[in-house]
Amino acid sequence: MDAAAMAILLQQLVNSLAISAIIIMIGIGITLVFGLTGIINFAQGELLMLGGVATWLLVGRAGVNFFAALVAAAVIVGAVGFLLERSIFRFTLRRPMNGFIISLGLSVFLQHFVIRFWNSYQKSIPDPVGGVWQVGSIRIAAVRVMVVAVTAAAVGFTFFAISRSRHGLALRAAVADQDTARLMGIPVARYVTAVFVYGSALAGLGGALMIALFPITPFVGQDVVVGGFAVALIGGLGNVAGAVVAGLILGFADGLSAGYGLPEWTEAYSFALMILILLVRPQGLLGGTEGPAIV
Amino acid sequence: MSGRVSGRVASAAFLLLLVALPWISPSYRFLSIAISTGTVAITLYGLAVLFGQAGLMSVGHAALMGVGAYSAAILALRLGIGFWGALPCAMLTAALAAGLIGLPSLRVSGHHFVIITYAFCTLLTIVLTNGGDATGGASGLDLDPVGRLFGVNFDSVRNYYLLVLAALLAAMLATDLIARSGYGRTLRAIRENEALARAVGINTALHKLGAFMLSGAFAGLAGVLQAYYLRHISPGLYGGLPSLYIAMSVMLGGARVLYGPLAGAVIVNFLPEVLSIDPVDSRMAYGAGLVLVILLLPGGVIASLADLGAWAAALARRTAGRWTQLAQGR
Amino acid sequence: MAALEISGLRKRFGGVEALAGVDLSVTRDAILGIVGPNGSGKTTLFNVITGVFRPAAGRIVWEGHDIAGHPTHAIARRGLVRTFQQAMSFPALTVAENVGIAWARRRMAAPWAGPDAILDFMGLSEQSAEPAGRLPFGLLRRLGLAVALATAPRLLLLDEPGAGLNEAETAELGELILQLPGRDIGVCLIDHDMALMARLCQRLVVLDFGTKIAEGPTRAVLEDPTVIDVYLGHRP
Repeated sequence: MDAAAMAILLQQLVNSLAISAIIIMIGIGITLVFGLTGIINFAQGELLMLGGVATWLLVGRAGVNFFAALVAAAVIVGAVGFLLERSIFRFTLRRPMNGFIISLGLSVFLQHFVIRFWNSYQKSIPDPVGGVWQVGSIRIAAVRVMVVAVTAAAVGFTFFAISRSRHGLALRAAVADQDTARLMGIPVARYVTAVFVYGSALAGLGGALMIALFPITPFVGQDVVVGGFAVALIGGLGNVAGAVVAGLILGFADGLSAGYGLPEWTEAYSFALMILILLVRPQGLLGGTEGPAIV
Repeated sequence: MSGRVSGRVASAAFLLLLVALPWISPSYRFLSIAISTGTVAITLYGLAVLFGQAGLMSVGHAALMGVGAYSAAILALRLGIGFWGALPCAMLTAALAAGLIGLPSLRVSGHHFVIITYAFCTLLTIVLTNGGDATGGASGLDLDPVGRLFGVNFDSVRNYYLLVLAALLAAMLATDLIARSGYGRTLRAIRENEALARAVGINTALHKLGAFMLSGAFAGLAGVLQAYYLRHISPGLYGGLPSLYIAMSVMLGGARVLYGPLAGAVIVNFLPEVLSIDPVDSRMAYGAGLVLVILLLPGGVIASLADLGAWAAALARRTAGRWTQLAQGR
Repeated sequence: MAALEISGLRKRFGGVEALAGVDLSVTRDAILGIVGPNGSGKTTLFNVITGVFRPAAGRIVWEGHDIAGHPTHAIARRGLVRTFQQAMSFPALTVAENVGIAWARRRMAAPWAGPDAILDFMGLSEQSAEPAGRLPFGLLRRLGLAVALATAPRLLLLDEPGAGLNEAETAELGELILQLPGRDIGVCLIDHDMALMARLCQRLVVLDFGTKIAEGPTRAVLEDPTVIDVYLGHRP
């Protein structure tokens, strides 16, 4: 491979990192919520969309600084997650399939709620960072670096919280076996709420990062959520490390197909990859949970 | 017993009303909304067999309608096979596609599997969009009118409505027969306890795939009827969002009762159009409605109405009993 | 020759050898009990025999055919049927439907005239129109057995039929199980209730860490010092 080809390859890998970042942000929430409750939350995509719209409102309409809006989007969407868990999802914990169906309804509701108030057109904000860095022959947009850095920080925090803290240990125990965890005095219901809130906040953050990269519509959640599910399933449900690895794989597949293959088939590659991996290894690449044993 | 008789009278009257509709309300708009509702309802019956009986949920059923619709359009364009020839072929291709989508359900648990159906659906949209001349790309394909058969001109809205109605009634009848048959009982056994079903000798893999293919055939039929009604099809009709609405409708109406899917189709497709409700409002309402139905009436609207009826009848009996006791001076 | 002949059966989960080369022969005329501490591989043995899991190695010969690795439903149709500790019924279906589903699949001549006769034998006739999910636990256990009997089995593998039952219920169920060999249905069962096992089984096999550590007539096995040490020693 000559230097020019190498540079193009590196360029594609760098570009795809930002895409991986968004998918990972939504995938972590999906994988944690599923691992603990067995609920496939289809509305996770709409939570991401809400984060994007909130950022658009704050930055575009109210003139707030992007980084303040980023934090606000995570807080707002986290609060929405709290409300949804308290008012709806907690009543479906015994029947996760009902939780899934409800999330379909929620997704449609949230899409049209946003359209009702802020129409269905594309929404974008000015590049919050600006500038392009030149590293050798590779050009890197600063905004992409920012997106990857924020995601890396969020992923790092999540890992730390799950693997090092007392709460993380209790959470992993609850994911592995709810009943035993309950017998050990772990307040599982509180962890369910916490995971919903945390997953929602990450989705909100992901939405803010996404609108920094591309314009979004109220339907963007539908496109992103499948990527999030792909990541969660490929990595193994309930497995955060798996979600991160799978997010990187999908992002690279995406970037490489855009650079070398047929760009119009980009999304098809990730879905086909997901279906194939699940057929060969139903438990995901790194192994995960089948969800809580509730019939 | 009298409850069952009055139920039969009510459903006979309802079906008669459906047949008489073209003569009661000649409005073109009304009939065309009824036609599109009818085609969706046929798909919903297929999904009701799959979900209501076998317990397998799919959020990719619009894709199967798409397979049916595109099969019909391609047959017409390439081989000159018209509507009537396309019907059985499209049902077959949709059934085969459904079998393919159902294949992972044999290895992957129910929760994971739902996502795979959605991925398949999105995958199909991409394939259709990038299919070049074969699928007409993003702009889609056109279809010729159905034409005449046995001297009946199916290009008139009234006759096409009656055709769709006949197909819908056939779908309802088939669903009912399946639910009552030993086959339906086998599917319910798989839904209720798959491990035990295997242990008593049921080939669960075969029957799950079978249920999928059957459900796909319904969707294929619906796809052809819808395609020849619209006379133009494009990938967007068969993507993720339409699939979600199909899944939602069947849950709203109820998948395990005969009139559930029809009710779902009417609530989601017919009422808002006929009442000219703003689509954004109506969709917000379904979204919220679905959440409430699942939380409060998990059997769906129709099953809950039936429960309400039974409860009212029991209440009436009890009250009547009280009054007789009082009248007898106790 | 024994109806079910198992040799060198192995199954591994991750790093744990759940079955480490088990040999076993089961005849249909005497009730065989399998005992052992928790995690000794009893349920895994049933799961591998009935095709729920594929064995890593070994032969399972049932009436002359090697069925190792065959799917569960095909094994059931050959008359080798198991019950479950937990998944006993189809909850939303009625008791009669539960039994009817299994009856419709039978491939062999059954010692009962029909599903009603089985419900009668199991003492479930009164509940036949009730959804299985509404039955009290004791009756649910009986329904589990009734469903298994309706497949017209030649050999029944019962996984802890007495678990969760009180003393009277266990005794009643034990009486019913004792009648099965007389109706040409072989029985092999797992249970922790030693009194029940002593009453029902002519022969016992003891598993520990996936291997067979003792086998023989019930009384002799119960008095075997190794067995007492490994398993019965846990009793207060």
